[in-house]
Order: sequence, then C-alpha cells, then structure tokens
Amino acid sequence: MCTKMRRDGPSMNEGPKILLSALMVLGAQSPEKALPIDELATKLGMGVPELQRELDKLTEAGYAVTTRQEGRAKVYLTGTGVITASSAYS
Amino acid sequence: MLCWEYPPRIIGGLARHVEGLSRALASLGHEVHVITLDFPGAPYEERRGSLYIHRVPVSVPAPSFHSWVLLFNHFFEKRAGQLAHEFGAPDVFHIHDWLTVPAGVTAKHLLRTPLVMTFHSTEASRSSNSVSTESAMVEGLEWWGSFEAARVIAVSGWMKSEVLTRLKTPEEKVEQIPNAVEPLKFEGRLDAKATRARWNVREGQKMITAVGRLTPQKGFDDLIRAYPAIRRAVPESRLVIVGEGHMRAELESIAEQEHVRDFTTFAGFINDSELVAGLRSSDVVVVPSRFEPFGIIALEAMAAGVPLVVSRVGGLAEIVEDSVDGIEVEPNNPSAIAAATVRILSDRELASRLATRGEEKAKTYSWENVARRTIGVYQDAARWTKYE
Repeated sequence: MCTKMRRDGPSMNEGPKILLSALMVLGAQSPEKALPIDELATKLGMGVPELQRELDKLTEAGYAVTTRQEGRAKVYLTGTGVITASSAYS
Repeated sequence: MLCWEYPPRIIGGLARHVEGLSRALASLGHEVHVITLDFPGAPYEERRGSLYIHRVPVSVPAPSFHSWVLLFNHFFEKRAGQLAHEFGAPDVFHIHDWLTVPAGVTAKHLLRTPLVMTFHSTEASRSSNSVSTESAMVEGLEWWGSFEAARVIAVSGWMKSEVLTRLKTPEEKVEQIPNAVEPLKFEGRLDAKATRARWNVREGQKMITAVGRLTPQKGFDDLIRAYPAIRRAVPESRLVIVGEGHMRAELESIAEQEHVRDFTTFAGFINDSELVAGLRSSDVVVVPSRFEPFGIIALEAMAAGVPLVVSRVGGLAEIVEDSVDGIEVEPNNPSAIAAATVRILSDRELASRLATRGEEKAKTYSWENVARRTIGVYQDAARWTKYE
C-alpha cells in the first residue's frame, strides 16, 4: 500500500491512519463491501494478529466494524471512519 | 456540480458550500445535479424539487488515495455521461477544488459544456508548501483545472490572491464569491439545557466550542494548550471540540498532558441540526486555525449569535472585524487565544455587543446572493466558451 499521509504536525499514529485510508480506497464502506481480514493482512503485508490489534483500535474509536460473514472475519468503515480517513487529505 | 463531499458526507467546508449553493440555485428555478461520492446510510439517488443528488460508489479498489481519486473521477464521468443522455447536456459543469478536475475537464470536452471551477483551498497552503510527489500532482491538477475552466471562483480575497500568484490565472477570469449561511437554520426553538447536558456542560458552566476537522490546520492543539489558562480565570467552564479527524487521539493526549482532559468533551461527528443547537448553546466559539481560506464556521457562529475568537489568517481575517464582531488573535499562540477567550467570558457587555454585530453581519452572507452571483459567472463562462 502507498497510503502515507504527508501532513505536518502532530497526528494519529501512522498505523491506524494508514489502515483507515486503505479501507476507504479499497472500498470497504458497508457490511456488503466488508473486506476479509486475512485478505487485508496479505494486501498490507501484515500478519493477521498485528492487523487485528490495529483494527481493535479503529473499532474502539468507532471508525470501523468487524463482523463475521460466511464464516470469515471481515471489516468495514463506519461513516465516521470514512470522514476521518478523508480528513487527512482535505 | 461535481464534488467529493455532500451531506451527510461532510469532510470540510466544501460540503456545506455545495449544499447551500445547489439548494439556492434550485430554489431560483434551475435544475441542479450534484454528482458526489456515496456514503454509508445515504441513498444513491435523492431528489428535492429540481435538485438531484447522485451518490456514486467507487466499484474498483485502489492502491493509494491519489489513484483512488482518479478512479472516482472515472465513475463521476460515467455518471455525468448517463445524466447527459437522460436529461440532456448541462449548460455548465461546476467543479470544486482539485479532487474533481479530471472528471470536469473530460465532461467539458466530451459534452462541449463550459467549465467553472471554485477554489476553496490550494495544495500549497494545505501542505505548508510540501515538495512531495503527491503535492506536485495535486498542484498540477489545480493548475490544469484553472486553465481549462472558462471562469474561476475564489471564496475569499486571500484565496483569490493565491490563485492569481501561485497558479498565474489571469485576473479577469477570477471572481471572488464568498460562502454563506442559511439564517433560518439558526432560528426556532432551542433546548440549550439538553444540548449542553449531552456534552457534559453543567448548569452555570461557560461552554467554549470549537468545530472542524481534527487536523493540524485547525489549530485545536493550540486551543487545548490555551485551556488551562482559561480555566484558571474561568474555572466554571467546559471545552467542547466538535468534529472528527486523524488527529483525535493526539488531541486527547494533549488534553491529558495539560490536565484538562476531564474538562474537555470530544463530541465527534454530529449532524447539522446538532451543530446548530451546539453553536447556539455556546458562550464563545473559538476558531484557532493556522490557515483558513474562508472559515465558514465563523459565519455560522455569527449567525448563531455567539461571540467569536478567530485566528488572524486568510478568509477569517476578512470575515471578522477585530473587536467589532469578534476578536482576532495571532495564529499558533495559545496565550493570545486564552486572553481573548477570557475577555469574552468575563465581560458580558462585550460578549453581547460582539454577538449582536456578528449576527447582523451574517445576514449579509446569503446563499441566494451567492447563487445569483454564481449564475452570472455561469453566463460569462457560456459566453466565453466557443466550440466551432
């Protein structure tokens, strides 16, 4: 992924920020478009446990929802998550 | 009209501007189609009289933000083509900032339709003159949009000067048309007690409010650093920060470091009616931005009849007359923010005078005026665009 934020000044830790942006540009904005967490980990070059830890931070903040669909763990952004992801570029 | 944000997808001032302008144009009898991005829970298609909102999903995943922007432009182009078949070619395409330049330029040439571009901000100012490759791309698109547009709108004098000096746009092509507010939104019944209670503002406490994206540009870190001094002078107070953004965790951490976390509410993203109620329930609104091409929140606070403290930057310095309808302070200066906020909170007569004058000024910024002036720009664009 090439989703590095480039604004100066204090900001959220890079991990969650990159993940938010990745979920938005990959189109995970609704339960129907939720991304399998194992596939996302491969795309991002991360291990599943490491990704899960980052996703826990996003879900705790209300930015993402993790769900189980057809036996697979998936994730998608909430409206607040979409706005937060976009705010880095506006 | 093409824009990446439209309510309820509100990232910044663009959404409010496009909503206000599109509604006003429709109420003047024009047929307006807004093509924008989809948003969780919002309908793909919406119609209010002659205003049509088309929310477009991006059906292809992208590897980065900037390639995603190009992809959603493709889907905007597709929707514009479909609408041209369904409703006929539009009389004008109107794009907002760099994010919709590719779709606007393509639509202009394919449908032979005049193009108008509004600048709400520029990359150089947003990124503090970053020299990254992404910024080069964005600046290139800004120039390209301003070149292809028959007429360009800048939302403030500061923004106009940026467009003239940085993009070298010919002056005769650029019109300055400000943002506006809808005064009716700020009238009617208000349950201030319930609004304040929702944000943990106790009875008798002064409510200090700041609204915006939680990004470095907005300077909320300076306001939080100013808050200990404000609390020393006005202990019965609470700071309410409204908005979302990638800086939230950092701001919460600064509030902890400054020992004011227990007296600060992070209200998160709220809808328009909650925002109006929140502004009207406030004792002072602080806009501590480091740069602000316009600063629509200042106008909204004025319309809500609340005294203001603003940074002396960009469009904010054009809206607010220091010590007449608000207090201006130097940006990046927590001490100055604290002093001005305490002044308003401790001087009821001053607060009332600033609020009254601000309310009067806000009435002069109407969306109907903005729409009428924008129609004039559209007519110029049609006259100036010749396809042989």
